[in-house]
Amino acid sequence: MGHPDPVAPHLAQGLAPWNADEDDILVCRQVRAETADVKSFIFAARTPRLFHYRPGQFLTFDFEIGGETVNRCYTISSAPTRPHLVSITVKRVPGGPVSNWLHDHMAPGREIRATGPMGEFSTSTHPAPKYLFLSGGSGITPLMSMARSHHDLALPVDITFVHSARSPADIIFRDELDLMGRNLPGFRAISICEADSPGERWGGFRGRLSLDALSVIAPDFRTREIFTCGPAPYMAAVRGILGQAGFDMDRYHEESFDFGTLTGAEDTATAVAVAAPGLSYRVEFTKSRRVIDCPADKHILDAAREAGMRLPSSCTKGLCGTCKSKIVSGKVEMKHAGGIRQREIDMGLALICCSKPLGDLVIER
Amino acid sequence: MLDVVQTPLKSLIARRRPGYTLEAPFYTSPQILQTDLDLIFGHHWIYVGVEPDVPEPGDVMVVDIGANSVLIVRDDDLGVKAFHNVCRHRGARLVHEPKTTVGNLVCGYHQWTYNLEGKLVHADHMGKDFDPGCHGLKPVHLRSLAGLLFICLSDDPPADFDEMAAVMTPYIAPHDIANCKVIHQSDLIELGNWKLTMENNRECYHCSANHPELTIPLFAYGFGFSPDSVDETELKQAQRYEQMVCDLGAQWEADGLPSREVDRLDDMVTGYRTQRLPIDRDGESQTIDTKVASKKLLGQFTNSKLGGLSFWTQPNSWHHFMSDHIVTFSVIPLDAERTLLRTKWLVHKDAVEGVDYDLENVIGVWVATNDQDGTLVGWAQAGARSQAYEPGPYSPYTEMLVDKFCNWYIGRLNALLPR
Repeated sequence: MGHPDPVAPHLAQGLAPWNADEDDILVCRQVRAETADVKSFIFAARTPRLFHYRPGQFLTFDFEIGGETVNRCYTISSAPTRPHLVSITVKRVPGGPVSNWLHDHMAPGREIRATGPMGEFSTSTHPAPKYLFLSGGSGITPLMSMARSHHDLALPVDITFVHSARSPADIIFRDELDLMGRNLPGFRAISICEADSPGERWGGFRGRLSLDALSVIAPDFRTREIFTCGPAPYMAAVRGILGQAGFDMDRYHEESFDFGTLTGAEDTATAVAVAAPGLSYRVEFTKSRRVIDCPADKHILDAAREAGMRLPSSCTKGLCGTCKSKIVSGKVEMKHAGGIRQREIDMGLALICCSKPLGDLVIER
Repeated sequence: MLDVVQTPLKSLIARRRPGYTLEAPFYTSPQILQTDLDLIFGHHWIYVGVEPDVPEPGDVMVVDIGANSVLIVRDDDLGVKAFHNVCRHRGARLVHEPKTTVGNLVCGYHQWTYNLEGKLVHADHMGKDFDPGCHGLKPVHLRSLAGLLFICLSDDPPADFDEMAAVMTPYIAPHDIANCKVIHQSDLIELGNWKLTMENNRECYHCSANHPELTIPLFAYGFGFSPDSVDETELKQAQRYEQMVCDLGAQWEADGLPSREVDRLDDMVTGYRTQRLPIDRDGESQTIDTKVASKKLLGQFTNSKLGGLSFWTQPNSWHHFMSDHIVTFSVIPLDAERTLLRTKWLVHKDAVEGVDYDLENVIGVWVATNDQDGTLVGWAQAGARSQAYEPGPYSPYTEMLVDKFCNWYIGRLNALLPR
């Protein structure tokens, strides 16, 4: 006899799927350093369970940071083809409360509350014969999940995966991308770096993604279904390139890599976006002493204007920041376009022209 | 005939006597100050700050030079860019605070909105035919020399910046400015012409009588002396200093820290000089006890005794890099007889005030020294206004660098004045 086999319980027949409605606690199994400022956090259920999700979907986590509960969605970087574990891959953001907390405090054995999976950004939702994956920085995670799924299933695929990084040392999953390229004839992974890293001169494509670079890397990109994820300026640049190339945007899908900064995400169904129709919230403005009702699917500024309020605003697109307001209490869903900094959002500010209420609000205006 | 066609400034330039101070109008005339702003500060690389002034995306710093206001911003790709701080709509100044953080750059007047690339991304009520592409912010040339930010207001900046940068980067880079933070800035208005501020900086003839704090770490001999004017004790000190330059210099160079003197003060358009200077006593830093003032050493340093790397640029800066902290100085004229001396102190970005360093200890020596220098510049300015003032001779032993500053200045005016 002797030692019990630790693997056996996980491979038991008829293992139940993980279901957040029954148990929404995940346990950290391992933390892996991917690059100098990117780590993967590997989670399991408390008792052996299988994770079912579409590659590209995300989980919503409740982080208890400094006595407050902070919600953040992170796309899953692992593949459902290896269902025993689920992982997210997070880049440390200067001043980012959640990413820093994860990097500094998440450790094996630690428990975290999570719900999901959710999201429509998936090759499973938009099947096509040929794919082009475009990612910038830690936006690689949902595309990695899709790539890993295709790789694990060893079906014939045609995937070109173009990843943009600051330097070779910043290419996330570099070895694994190379490995998948060697294993799968139809899988090509190409990185573009802006600069050398201290230890390595970059011999590949340099600079940023451009139409010229794309035409060289994937001359047939117009015939591919395109999935893009990365920082907002990166995705804006990709849209610009594809627009310039006359790409049929019906076959373009993108995902904001960090749901803390929902930016320009067009094809994303997020947890917070699926508010029930007809739902309305109470919004109180402290300075003008007005209280209005704001439907859950309406921007707060629009509701206020329709109620006859004249609040400072200009672009109404989340660009200029004129409507920047302090949210004294309550939460909003914001899709800005660069008019506000993450640091300001962290301080409780929001652009009300592009924010929808997620509950009753008190706004300092 | 010649006298008739020459402007007075050209005559002043033509009759400048090398080795002597400049004639009074160079220090007092508002017209010459305007020429200085146009030709010197408008056509050369002007030191304005450090990368840690704008550490994160959206951070903005404003620098005013004469009538020009310049924005320096950190963009989302972590690059640093400079633009004229002028809205392309009706010319209003865009940013009013010396430092701030923005999402986009928005004019407070009519909310024209520019992204951090300077592109106009929003302007209401301008109609269908309006082309925002033609109304981006006007860029200003900006270069980062290992983290020191220089701007040039001219469309055609001096190309020899690259030559300076190639020489200086190995000297400065080990001090790792990018991983520092600005812990204090002082804006001192000196009551004198900017050239008097610069001249005062370029010699240490005045140091022993006026800088009780600075002369604890600093050897005045580093700036020369006349062998006839020193007694035996001083001569021994000077010889000890020379020996230290030799021994420490060799040791620093062997450790991969370039240290030897390079002097291109008056033979380049972008004039500069550098040398790693020994520090007396404990030899660690420009502090009152000559020890490091911050426990977190810069960059990869493990040795605290690295002396003080000094870097001087024409027309407007000097810098001291120690193992534990950095002090940088930027000089900007306000009018003919008033000058802004902007000093910044930097330590490692992870150093904690009260734990790793005491702010007063880091800044003490140079706060006192700046104050003393401000007084001296005021004295010189008051004298230059007098009818008795006439150009006086520089010491050939201790004021060579002052003479080189004036050579450079006169040479550049001469080169750039319209024929």
